[in-house]
Amino acid sequence: MKRSQRIALAVLMVLLAAAPLGLKNYGIYLLTLWCVYVMAGMGLNLTVGYAGQMSIGHAAFLGIGAYTAAILMKLGLSFWLVLPMAAVLCFLVGLVIGFPALRVQHHYLAFATLGFNVLTYLFFRNEEWLTGGTFGISGIQRPAFFGLSLERSAAFFWFAYGSTILLALLLWWVIRSPWGRAFAALRDNPIRAESLGVNITAYTLLAFAIGAAFAGIAGAYFAVLVQFIEPAPFHLTASLMMLLMVIVGGSGKFFGPMLGAAIVILLPEWLRFLKDWYLVIFGLAVVALMIWLPGGLLSIPDRWKKA
Amino acid sequence: MTPFLEVKDCVKHYGAIRAVDGVSFAVGPGEIVGVIGPNGSGKTTLFNSILGQIKPTAGHMEFCGEDITGMSPLKLSRRGIGRTFQTLQVFGKLSLRDNLIAAAQEFKDSLAGRLFAAPDAGLGQQADEMIELFRLEHVAHLPAGSLSYGQQKLVDIAMAFMARPRLVLLDEPCAGVNPALVDELRELLSKLNQSQGGSFIVIEHNMEFIMRLCPRVICMVEGKVLAEGKPEEVQSNRAVLEAYLGN
Repeated sequence: MKRSQRIALAVLMVLLAAAPLGLKNYGIYLLTLWCVYVMAGMGLNLTVGYAGQMSIGHAAFLGIGAYTAAILMKLGLSFWLVLPMAAVLCFLVGLVIGFPALRVQHHYLAFATLGFNVLTYLFFRNEEWLTGGTFGISGIQRPAFFGLSLERSAAFFWFAYGSTILLALLLWWVIRSPWGRAFAALRDNPIRAESLGVNITAYTLLAFAIGAAFAGIAGAYFAVLVQFIEPAPFHLTASLMMLLMVIVGGSGKFFGPMLGAAIVILLPEWLRFLKDWYLVIFGLAVVALMIWLPGGLLSIPDRWKKA
Repeated sequence: MTPFLEVKDCVKHYGAIRAVDGVSFAVGPGEIVGVIGPNGSGKTTLFNSILGQIKPTAGHMEFCGEDITGMSPLKLSRRGIGRTFQTLQVFGKLSLRDNLIAAAQEFKDSLAGRLFAAPDAGLGQQADEMIELFRLEHVAHLPAGSLSYGQQKLVDIAMAFMARPRLVLLDEPCAGVNPALVDELRELLSKLNQSQGGSFIVIEHNMEFIMRLCPRVICMVEGKVLAEGKPEEVQSNRAVLEAYLGN
């Protein structure tokens, strides 16, 4: 990254941190929701963008993380204990869900992950004894951070924002390590990768598991942000929305999910002045983007260079 | 000479088609063996059978005394067997330098150890030396997919040697390479053979290239070995002339 880009990034980060000072509660809620989807999106970007594995079941992991946090916190466990548990559980489920990827690819894999999403959604909806069914689980308490209350929306945003930065640094470290290069080799040419000693079984499973763990963490934050969970936010539509975030921002680009989540979460809100037309305009904007910028918004600089 | 790689009665059938039909040969340590033959004679199928890309119908293969028949490409690579493919096989979005590092990093540390290793896995200098040897310095940091066909072919070949394999199977290394570079490529392969000491098996249609590079040549026709020997012997073999080289 060039020096000018680093400065721009630092300025943007400071502006984002200061944003709650000039926003009402709903605006701060949306920014916090953006953080949650950035966490999940970064995981999906690792699975889809860096390792080249198709997944349209990511909302299932978000749901598993959210329900794990909600159920265990209702039983009296601390958020700080529940958070790693949600991550580890999703990591393990992600490992299992990675197995179909060893057999099938592309749209076949997409349907396998879709099936998993449908199954988890049905589980959340029908296993009322555990999940509360369609009534969901309410009254989830926000945690305290070293004695500081996170009940206020601004305080919780800063907490989620800091956590998002920490997760981004963790992802940066993973993709800068030889693992990142192995994921890219798996994505670009698995047959050649294997002939060069890349254990494609291990890296495929890891790509799913790490991506799922990120979504599990995001799910735990989602539960304490909304303080009420029910199955709807973890439906297939949410998986498609997260995939859209990754693709719109730039699949396989580090800042892709950040930009993509901003477009998918925030743009519809900014377009609300269009009243009944806002979702129509948003849909058309996405269609146009996919036609002219299939590499996502972050592919614009590459396009300029080529032009 | 003690065989390094020994292929005994390798057979690969696709239904009624006998792509490889009882091929046997051996390769010694440090030896370069050429494999020639018309299109469809079973050369690449033989390679893929040795290298675990396809399962041979019958036959037996040994590498350094170990049975490697049907072993996966991953296990073979761990035993020091490398390859190039007939078609280009680079990691298009990675830079040329990263392609070379990716080609050897998995032989360093454990899986967990690689997560904590330096970003270049300690292979940066070795990659730079390979880039210099192949004279690709000016494109080292470009995505491999953006390079010309000839440059990608050189990257493809260089990748096969990054992990210093003991045996390398090269499938048509000259295909698509500018004729002016063919001699240079031959010299590079000779240098690598001397410096790394590995054995090579080379499939190639460029007869001048193969006759000058390989002290021993095998000619395959219709899945069988038609002739084997020194290049000049094979070149003047009547059956080879009739079936492949012509008069």
